Amino acid sequence: MFIIDYIKDIFKGLKSLLTGMRVTGYYFTHHKEIITEQYPDNRATLKMADRFRGEVVMIHDENNEHACTGCSACELACPNGTIKIINKFELNAEGKKKKAIDTFIYHLELCTMCNLCVVACPTDTIKMEPNFEHSVYDRSKLTKVLNRPGSKIKAGVE
Amino acid sequence: MNSTVIMFYCISAFILGTGILAVTTGKIFRSAIWLLFSMMGIAGLYFWMQMEFIAAVQIIVYVGGIVVLIIFSIFLTQKSGEEMPKPPLTKTIFSLLAAILGFTFSYLLIYQYGFNDGNAPFELKVSDIGLKMLDTGEHGFILPFEVISVLLLAALVGCIVIAMKVKSIEE
Amino acid sequence: MLSLENITNAVHEWLNATLNPNLALLSEFLIVGVLAIALFAVLGLSLVLMERKVAAFIQIRLGPNRVGPFGMFQTVADTLKLIMKEGLTPDGADKFLFNLAPYIVMIAAMMLLAPIAFAKGFQIWDINIGVLFLTAVSSISVIGILMAGWASNNKYSLLGAMRSGAQIVSYELSAGLSIITIVILTGSLQISDIINAQANGWWIFKGHIPVLISFVIFIIAVTAETNRAPFDLAEAESELTAGFHTEYSGMKFALFFLAEYINIFIACAIGATLFLGGWMPFHIGHWEAFNHIMDFIPSSFWFIGKTFFLIFLMMWFRWTFPRLRIDQLLNLEWKYLLPISLVNLLVVALMAVMGWYF
Repeated sequence: MFIIDYIKDIFKGLKSLLTGMRVTGYYFTHHKEIITEQYPDNRATLKMADRFRGEVVMIHDENNEHACTGCSACELACPNGTIKIINKFELNAEGKKKKAIDTFIYHLELCTMCNLCVVACPTDTIKMEPNFEHSVYDRSKLTKVLNRPGSKIKAGVE
Repeated sequence: MNSTVIMFYCISAFILGTGILAVTTGKIFRSAIWLLFSMMGIAGLYFWMQMEFIAAVQIIVYVGGIVVLIIFSIFLTQKSGEEMPKPPLTKTIFSLLAAILGFTFSYLLIYQYGFNDGNAPFELKVSDIGLKMLDTGEHGFILPFEVISVLLLAALVGCIVIAMKVKSIEE
Repeated sequence: MLSLENITNAVHEWLNATLNPNLALLSEFLIVGVLAIALFAVLGLSLVLMERKVAAFIQIRLGPNRVGPFGMFQTVADTLKLIMKEGLTPDGADKFLFNLAPYIVMIAAMMLLAPIAFAKGFQIWDINIGVLFLTAVSSISVIGILMAGWASNNKYSLLGAMRSGAQIVSYELSAGLSIITIVILTGSLQISDIINAQANGWWIFKGHIPVLISFVIFIIAVTAETNRAPFDLAEAESELTAGFHTEYSGMKFALFFLAEYINIFIACAIGATLFLGGWMPFHIGHWEAFNHIMDFIPSSFWFIGKTFFLIFLMMWFRWTFPRLRIDQLLNLEWKYLLPISLVNLLVVALMAVMGWYF
């Protein structure tokens, strides 16, 4: 019947409104649920999320060795030309010429943190770090060289 | 001439001034606003007479109802912001004549009634108005009240009929 | 005991003793005006801050906390900023009406302050048609909004003004009808009579279910009349930038903003007066000791407490419910609130005639 439907409608509407108000009322009374990070104040204790992408870094071990073969797969994978790899040829122990990286140039100002280079890397030599404090006074400072000076490729990585 | 008389003349001047502005201004929206001020001035006059009930009803009906509806219809018309063309001279003359005629007619009516200058304090409870409305005896207003109620009900039903969707034949 | 009533009486007597009656009346006008403006300023500052804090807590945020302790001076800083900004008038606007509109809204809000009883015997004008006066004057503010929307010469403003006009005109009906239920029960329009009728219990308890229904309808209608979310179609940010006050800046914008909060305060004050007993303390039947303790809390505290409770309720609505569409808005009013309040009015009339209330 029309009247019964009408009254049912009203009570259903009221109930759904009260459900909504219960949720917001819960948050209003439970202040420990607050998720705001007061950033510059809590800098010392700030913990970024594990999967936050702040910049690309190259993994170096304690012997200052990395796993980059200079294959430039990351350079090809990058959609906006953030990575530039300059290779050189080194003589290895057997006197053969071997390709190795000279500089791994990374333009942070162009990077969109899309993670495609990390996926493309066959030797897992680069990764994303959660550091986000990149502000500098000069744009040129954002062009970084990722391989550390004097570093060389790990033995056994082809 | 004491302060209440001065106030009366101030309010009357306000009503007349805004009324004249309402008919002489070139923009239609502005004339609605001047009309609104004129209505508020009349409400002020009722307040001055200490007829608060009538004043409040004046504000509700004319300011909150009729002027808002007028403004609404102005909004819905095109070119409401443009200056209207000056009316031709004959139009002005005839409307002036009509206004003067209406004024003299009502003035004569009021003049012949001859109000006596009563100084008795005027105290009227709102509940008396309500009782008078439902009074079936002498000087009761039950009949006009009911007639107006029926009229308004008819208007409401008419609005609903106009606004109702006509079901198509297939349904 | 020091109460507001005693203070006002003392001031009145002192003024009449030292000045002649006309001057005393004039200076009382002045004092009331200054107090009203001071109240406006304090209310504007505190309500905006309260709104921001409530919004923040409901959305699991912190809200303003930089200026002063707990961000208490945030709104003062905002006001200073607004005062120093340039009040622009757009080129194509109707300049006279554009500049007049904020004052109309403000004056309407100020006039509404007159019959409200802030504490026992502390009322500017105990007019014999109190409630009717409130409904009448509150309909003036819509004119200011319509004026602002039209004079801005901006399509968003015009649309916002039209929406707001349609909304206020239709929701005034159910607000008025729910006010009338209390008028029927009390048998008077005067605010002081309505409050005195609640000395042995507030109407919301005495009138049980029908009054509760009209209270709910009143709160909904008043939320719509003050153009607040979920009924904020008039200034829907995502559709109309800011609705009728899109073109306003600086102090003129601040006046609109202030008037919105003053209107909320007044609407909640009316609600508290009609349904929650105004400044009447909370009494339970024959618990003499309990009632006596309640009497010790000053009446102004009761009034302010009830009003702020209702304001909090409205803020809670605002930050919980999504905005209605215009057709939903009108459906709600004409298909639900109005028929329910009409039937409810009949029930209350029957209740009042038969004496079925406590």
